[in-house]
Amino acid sequence: MKLLTHNMLTSHVKGVIKGYPLLIKATEVKMNEVEFNPQFVSRMIPKLEWSALVQAADELGQRQDLPSEVVPDYEKDEEFLKKVHRLLLEVEVIEGCLQCPESGREFPISRGIPNMLLSEDEA
Amino acid sequence: MMEEAASQLERDHVHSVYDKIAPYFNDSRYKAWPKVRQFLLELQPGSIVADIGCGNGKYLHINKEVFKLGCDVCRPLVDFAWSQGHEVQMCDGLHLPYRDGCFDAVLSIAVIHHLSTKERRIRAIKEMARTLRVGGRIMIYVWAMEQKRRKFEKQDIFVPWNPNPHSPRRRAAAQSVSEAIDNTDKHRKVRSTSSVADEEDLTCATPQQRTQRLWFFSRSLDSVFDFGSLAISRSSSRDLSTLSSPTGENEGNKASQRGRGRGLIKQVSSFFSPPSVIGSEEDVFDSVTDPHKGQNNPGGNNNNNGTGNQSVSVSLAQECGSLALPDLVPFQKEHLKPAGDESGRAPQGGEQQESTKSPRGSEGQVEGSCLRYYHVFREGELAELIEHHVEELHVKHTYFDHANWCVVAEKVQLWKI
Repeated sequence: MKLLTHNMLTSHVKGVIKGYPLLIKATEVKMNEVEFNPQFVSRMIPKLEWSALVQAADELGQRQDLPSEVVPDYEKDEEFLKKVHRLLLEVEVIEGCLQCPESGREFPISRGIPNMLLSEDEA
Repeated sequence: MMEEAASQLERDHVHSVYDKIAPYFNDSRYKAWPKVRQFLLELQPGSIVADIGCGNGKYLHINKEVFKLGCDVCRPLVDFAWSQGHEVQMCDGLHLPYRDGCFDAVLSIAVIHHLSTKERRIRAIKEMARTLRVGGRIMIYVWAMEQKRRKFEKQDIFVPWNPNPHSPRRRAAAQSVSEAIDNTDKHRKVRSTSSVADEEDLTCATPQQRTQRLWFFSRSLDSVFDFGSLAISRSSSRDLSTLSSPTGENEGNKASQRGRGRGLIKQVSSFFSPPSVIGSEEDVFDSVTDPHKGQNNPGGNNNNNGTGNQSVSVSLAQECGSLALPDLVPFQKEHLKPAGDESGRAPQGGEQQESTKSPRGSEGQVEGSCLRYYHVFREGELAELIEHHVEELHVKHTYFDHANWCVVAEKVQLWKI
């Protein structure tokens, strides 16, 4: 699971109001090399919940010097874009789980795939 | 209660089937529909797209400029998509784990026809609409009831799985599943994308290959739970007629094959008819009509007209001369009691389940238990569903593509006062 994906994922357990962002508890993380495309990253940024990305980076110990707010004029800031690129696309959680911040329910991640299927009473 | 029956049906005849047949999905039969490819290629660079019900991920590699993710309930298929380098999750279409408005586009290709009630199909569309941003677009493909060369008689059907559509069966001709060749069906060109709705299914018969396709129709779950008309549980006497002898095939054991077939249908359909709603399972599911006297009837002729809808619970497609389920016969030989027993036979829930799991040659093992449930859509049905029940989507295009009805719709802002 990449952090770009994580940014879209939310807990959908019945009754939960604030199921986003999911807390990441990773037991295995992999780093990939993904071709850097600055336009692609620039276009992603407005679609992100920035604070959720920062939180995820912190949880994985990958924050480095990522700012807690999006920098102005980021389209031209290659350094910034590279940091974002790395976090969104190159960090991968292979094993672990995603935890609902409200209910505590854990959704397992195995072989890189989060299992978001709900049981009957959670649906 | 209906929810339970619906989920159960989908578990047995969608999810568990795909789990079993997943390994067979990954061959060259399964190509991307060109118009879907086009939809993806036309997206603005930097878009985020979700393929809901992505299967083996065949659309997830298209267009490097956009971020794609996919999800499905079928673990083996999702695993395969992952192995191809795609971002995928397990989830079910009625409960999408994505925040509101996070996608620029959504695909739903040959997915919602597996949902067994209208209400669930609407819910699935609404869920996808929820995850779309305003201005974002969704493309939905569903199997069409109206096909180029034939028309399904009913909208709610079970379709047997055929893992080897190109190769002739190695069984006796009488038992082989073959595809009836219409009298009018002269040109069998690109059969793989032709009338049978889904590129996954059958296809490419060589002229030498005669195949017969079997569809099993069942009553729509929606009608089973129509409390206003409980009287429909009693089948008309017309429907109770036994099958005429199959024309020229299945020399031996016709009766036993009929019995087995009926028993199986009873089994697979049994959960739609809880005794409290329908008088007796025997009445509803013991009746089979033979819509046609012979094979090779071209699409138009249809003994089983609209009136059949109310009381006929299970019927065979026009090309089938017999109720025998060739795919299933080898299975049933081992695991069902002899035909004579059938009248006294209670639904064999556990037993039947077991039989589908027992090992055979790989082909037999997969086929015998693999009936996929589909609700095939009439012309206009999908667009109407959206127009009447999903106000947050505006239908932009609707068209027929090979054997599918297709809709492209746009998410709109709803203003509530």
